[in-house]
Amino acid sequence: MKPALEVKNLRKVYEGGLEALKGINLSIPQGSFYGLLGPNGAGKTTTIGIITGLVNITGGSASVLGFDSVTEFRQARKLIGLSPQELNFDVFFSIGELLELQAGYYGLSNKEAKERTTIMLEQFGLSEKRNSRARELSGGMKRRVQIAKALVHDPKIVILDEPTAGVDIELRHMLWNYLRKINEEGKTILLTTHYIEEAEQLCETVSIINDGKIIATDSPDKLTQAHGMSGLEITLTSEVADLTLDPWTYNNIDGKIHVNMNHPEKEMAKVINQILEQGGGIENVQIYKSSLEDVFLKLTGKSLHEKDEKFETQEALLNV
Amino acid sequence: MFSRGFWVIVKREVKRFMFLYKQTLLPSVISSGLYIIVFGAAMGSRIGEIKGVEYIHFIIPGLVMMSVINPAYQNSSSSIMQAKFLRFIEDILITPLSGLEISLSYIIGGTVRGVVNGALVLLLGYFLTGLQIDNWLLTFVYLFAVAWAFAGAGVIVGIYAKSWDSIMVITNFFFMPLIFLGGVFYSIEMLPEFWRNFSMVNPLYWMINGLRYATLGIAETSHELSLGISIIFAIFFSTLASFMFSKGYRIKT
Repeated sequence: MKPALEVKNLRKVYEGGLEALKGINLSIPQGSFYGLLGPNGAGKTTTIGIITGLVNITGGSASVLGFDSVTEFRQARKLIGLSPQELNFDVFFSIGELLELQAGYYGLSNKEAKERTTIMLEQFGLSEKRNSRARELSGGMKRRVQIAKALVHDPKIVILDEPTAGVDIELRHMLWNYLRKINEEGKTILLTTHYIEEAEQLCETVSIINDGKIIATDSPDKLTQAHGMSGLEITLTSEVADLTLDPWTYNNIDGKIHVNMNHPEKEMAKVINQILEQGGGIENVQIYKSSLEDVFLKLTGKSLHEKDEKFETQEALLNV
Repeated sequence: MFSRGFWVIVKREVKRFMFLYKQTLLPSVISSGLYIIVFGAAMGSRIGEIKGVEYIHFIIPGLVMMSVINPAYQNSSSSIMQAKFLRFIEDILITPLSGLEISLSYIIGGTVRGVVNGALVLLLGYFLTGLQIDNWLLTFVYLFAVAWAFAGAGVIVGIYAKSWDSIMVITNFFFMPLIFLGGVFYSIEMLPEFWRNFSMVNPLYWMINGLRYATLGIAETSHELSLGISIIFAIFFSTLASFMFSKGYRIKT
């Protein structure tokens, strides 16, 4: 089966010499929920831009279900819906009209465009706002319109650039449920986010991108296992001389025993048994696990939260 | 030849200027009405006839061209500038439409506005001065070709411009002087030789001259050359605009 999105040795050098992508490879299977994580300026938006036709390619290739994003752009772009991070609304039209227009740009007939718009407005709880303008809506509603716009032509692949940036927790959870649902119904989703929890909750596979290169790709669980630390922290009631924990090694930190292992919850009983057999008394056992956030910090040396959050759209005067 | 999405952008462009009719349609009707009253009615009687045509009729083709050129240019340049500025141009760039289709749809949008404005001024000329059109088909061809040319120029400036200023600079420093020096209010035969020769290299002079031939049946110089120049400009600007759009110049990074 062809990958939904495939990027091979993709390079981008901007005018002025900034090398934003230094040869990245991605293969995103059909039906998957895929996350692209990276600090600001890592190349996430550039990658998405090249796939969707907003950014000119310098080298390498990008394809959508086998269609090249440059030479077969018509077929490729028809398959994708994009929700850009920065809200961008056509200011002359109501919510309903702008969704209908967007569907029309993709070639849907008037009737289909109207039907799809109605469905989108219902799914996002915006039916009553059909005739409102974007600037009259709250921030959360604007974000919903932004995502509805990406889905109105019913694309097979949905790319969401920071879809929950600046929305409250309630809406974030509503959007997560919605995205899970459409993923289960068969849509491939590529998501960029700087909320680690979002990637952990939603994504089957995550690629970490830093400084124009992909530095790790795996499921969130495996990434934390491979790059993070997990294990048991055991407080003993009394010291045990020459304690051995086969096959593990341990450290004694401030009188607490730290045993690193991949699956502490499974191995806990064995460890406890060995301590008891050697005459040790146990006061307390705790499992520790590093999060994807720790992994991210370790791999990139950067935190994901260095971001300057500005999500207000600029209100321009209606110049002719 | 063109996809459905292409016509949806055209529809969007037309809806946009209809929505803004107070800024996009009424001004040329009002200013042309004032020119007709002040120049035509008040001063025209003292100037008399030019080439057998009443002065008040003589100036109307120039006023029509003014109302074709500026709105056609303003429509495409402002629309693109605004879409760039508020970034909703991305919503169009990510669709299956080609750069050629997108640029032509903006050009057609501007052309429609130019032709509608020109037609409104002709209608005004009929009501205020009883103007009768000599050659309807040729009149339409001129309105269309000139609107197309300047809508194309508008796309080029819209792509190129980084601020609203640049758009107005072109109107104020290029189009308005060239229109006024293109013989809207006078026959170039009234000019001293130097300025008469100067008019000959002004493409807008030829466009006005050609429309005057189409509407009034009089021409100071070759009307065939006028038609040729109008069409060449239409082709040149729209080709350049489409080329820029296809390359993503200043639109894609």
